[in-house]
Amino acid sequence: MNRSNKILHYVARRLMQGIPIILAIVVMNFFLLNLAEGDAVDVLAGEAGSATPEYMEKMRAKFGLDQPLPVQLAVYLKNVVQLDLGYSFRHEMPVHELIFDRFGATLLLMTSTIIIAVGFGILLGLLAAVNLNTWKDALISVFALITYATPLFWVGLMMIIVFSIKNDWFPTSGMENSAAFYEGFDRVKDIAHHLVLPTITLSLFYLALYTRMMRASMLEQYGQDYVVTARAKGLSERRITFVHVLRNALLPVVTMAGVQVGALIGGSVIVESVFAWPGLGMLAFESLFARDLNLLLGIFLLSSVLVVAVNLVVDVIYCILDPRIEVN
Amino acid sequence: MKITKFMNAVMMTAAITFGGGAVYAQQSGGSLVFLVQPEPPTMAGYVSTSGPIGLLGPKIYDGLFDYDNDGKMIPVLAESVDMSEDGKTVTFNLRKGVTWHDGEPFTSADVQFTIMDVLKKVHPRGPNSFKEVSSIDTPDAHTVVLNLDNPAPYMLRALSAYESPMVPKHLLEGEDIKSAKLANNPVGTGPFKFTEWKKGQYIRLDKNESYWKEGRPYIDRIVGRFIPDASTRASAMEKGEVLYAAYNAVSNVEAVRLNKEKDNISITTDGYSMINPMALIEFNTKEGPFTDAVVRRAISTAIDRQFMLDTIFFGYGNPATSALSSNFAATGLHAKMPHYPANGDVAAANKMLDDAGYKKDSDGVRMKAMFDLIPYGEDWKRGGQYIQQVLGEIGIQVELRYEDVPTWLKRIYHNYDFEMNLNYFYQLADPVLGVHRHYGTNMIRKGTHFVNSSRYSNAGLDALLGAGMKEPNAESRSAIYLEIQNILARDMPVVNLFELEFLTVYNTKLKGAYGSAMGAYSSFGDAYLEE
Repeated sequence: MNRSNKILHYVARRLMQGIPIILAIVVMNFFLLNLAEGDAVDVLAGEAGSATPEYMEKMRAKFGLDQPLPVQLAVYLKNVVQLDLGYSFRHEMPVHELIFDRFGATLLLMTSTIIIAVGFGILLGLLAAVNLNTWKDALISVFALITYATPLFWVGLMMIIVFSIKNDWFPTSGMENSAAFYEGFDRVKDIAHHLVLPTITLSLFYLALYTRMMRASMLEQYGQDYVVTARAKGLSERRITFVHVLRNALLPVVTMAGVQVGALIGGSVIVESVFAWPGLGMLAFESLFARDLNLLLGIFLLSSVLVVAVNLVVDVIYCILDPRIEVN
Repeated sequence: MKITKFMNAVMMTAAITFGGGAVYAQQSGGSLVFLVQPEPPTMAGYVSTSGPIGLLGPKIYDGLFDYDNDGKMIPVLAESVDMSEDGKTVTFNLRKGVTWHDGEPFTSADVQFTIMDVLKKVHPRGPNSFKEVSSIDTPDAHTVVLNLDNPAPYMLRALSAYESPMVPKHLLEGEDIKSAKLANNPVGTGPFKFTEWKKGQYIRLDKNESYWKEGRPYIDRIVGRFIPDASTRASAMEKGEVLYAAYNAVSNVEAVRLNKEKDNISITTDGYSMINPMALIEFNTKEGPFTDAVVRRAISTAIDRQFMLDTIFFGYGNPATSALSSNFAATGLHAKMPHYPANGDVAAANKMLDDAGYKKDSDGVRMKAMFDLIPYGEDWKRGGQYIQQVLGEIGIQVELRYEDVPTWLKRIYHNYDFEMNLNYFYQLADPVLGVHRHYGTNMIRKGTHFVNSSRYSNAGLDALLGAGMKEPNAESRSAIYLEIQNILARDMPVVNLFELEFLTVYNTKLKGAYGSAMGAYSSFGDAYLEE
């Protein structure tokens, strides 16, 4: 069997394994979420100010909340298998519509954050490692430490105060200008303009992580025998760094990035909240407090699928980065 | 900064000098972006009275009347109202030539359907407001006759677009009203039409070109923006990205700062008199340490209401002096009651408890209790902390409990698993609408939120509440409510703390948005932007 065929088989097998994992996650989430006191009807009625008990019973019956838990779970699983994520009674909308409405914004923020964090993280880590124990190394390390230790919400608010209020460079929040409603290319520019502050804020945290990781990984690789061999055969330091060490040092960073793509979806609640970015994190956060379990389960399902998929992609990238790694 | 301020002053002087005598015309056009917090679940104001829906609904749906800041009725969809001698027949004469946003004509059948099939059945407060309406006749397309079992003077205070929005019969008839498509695609007769809802971002409403009121609305577009973070909301206000924020969407501390620092930002407490929010403590009168009215009276006596207002709410509000808000004084329904000292009297409270035989133990503790706090933000936590401290001084040791909204609602209004609970209630435009639900025996309804959770039951009071509801004569009504307040000051199933004043923060280029007693819950049909 040739290599690409092998990879295809591997991918297919991993996908098959992913299905029971995802179903198990769904079942676990279902029971965990149902442990919380109160349900969607309580919240809806509470927000409305008052509601009669008969009205609340009717709503529970309509939402299917009067059924015993195992029945509710069976119904939900049946729907999920048919790729139906159910209905959010709170929003009076199908869950998949709600999620895909917000997924674009999350994906945009996540992608730009990963690119900037991983890109600059690798660059800074490389610089620090190459200039080991010089002022450059110290500066980068201190920078990484500070950004890693600063709370995200504080960075976000400072960004707004400095770059939006004191200097009128960027809008405070939102995804697009809601007074103007630009169209076409102007809209793209407008969204990019709104994307800058949240991306920088979220990147700073992860940037620190990747910088430190890349630096350590580079230093470890420098100590390996193959580097000595490469030097012995007369390769330039430049070539050793960029062709040999860098490529090997990337492996742990890629692993980390893979794990974090999944976490970023849920982990950006703070940034989404500070910058009013309409992503999935905020949606999940709100639906938890509204006990909108269908919606919450849908979001969790999507993130678990993403984590499984991204991990698979990472494994495939391994093979490309390091031909010695075999799939089997 | 200084230069900008100076320039502004110069420009203002110039405007006054050169513009003297000229009548400023209301300008048409522009976008009004304002804060809606939090994002509403739907826009069905006929099913839910939740705050964010109230901010948007009345722009889309009209009511029969609006109310000005003196409480006078302003004709909206109804041009006039007549009440018969015995108060049992109420006739509305509807405006002619009004159409729904989809082009269908608005008629008396819509009003009949709205009151009988929507408000009386699915609205949270409608069954109370329209309780006495037994049937509605529609002799012609523009006349509506309500037949009442008993006189219901309070009903005329509940006809605003927020409290009783008029909804299209042709889009709701035969549907399950609570899950009808109309909830997310509202069609009303109001000055603005629903255009788009970007979940997590904004709701956009555009000008209704065929609005019944000539030349209105002035503004082309209204956008309600959702910003979850309180500091960011203040920043957006400061930067002029949003022009209006009501119901403390911008916190008091930021509002006061912006008002002081920025020339173009002002604050007002107008626009909440029909809402009448009252902060209070509910007690479990059936079980636990607070079954004795003496203890509840002592607690009311000990709390320094003015101190709470000054330190936590920046002085916005008035100490409560009775079970009824002093805003009801205009209709003669308010009287000052004992046990409501504005500055608190710890010594007197201690004496009351001593006299009643509640002994302090060696640690100075008479009793212990759990104190639940309404989970609506930091201010309430701080309020709870203050009360905890004061109660400590009179020997009542309380532990604070702060849970999320569904858990809290279930605990207080379903399981009755609480001892005392910090909360606030809207007393609304008349005690019948907002206060009766807190004390009547018929309002002990397990699972219904914001009703009589104290489970206080007093046949004498029930009779008075019933009489107050039906009494059309103002003087007799005043006497009934004086007796009601006396009973409640003695039994104190609920200790009222203070009448909250919400703050509206606005950019001064927004004009004409403040004429309605409904404040932010009004239509904004007369609002305009001065560029």
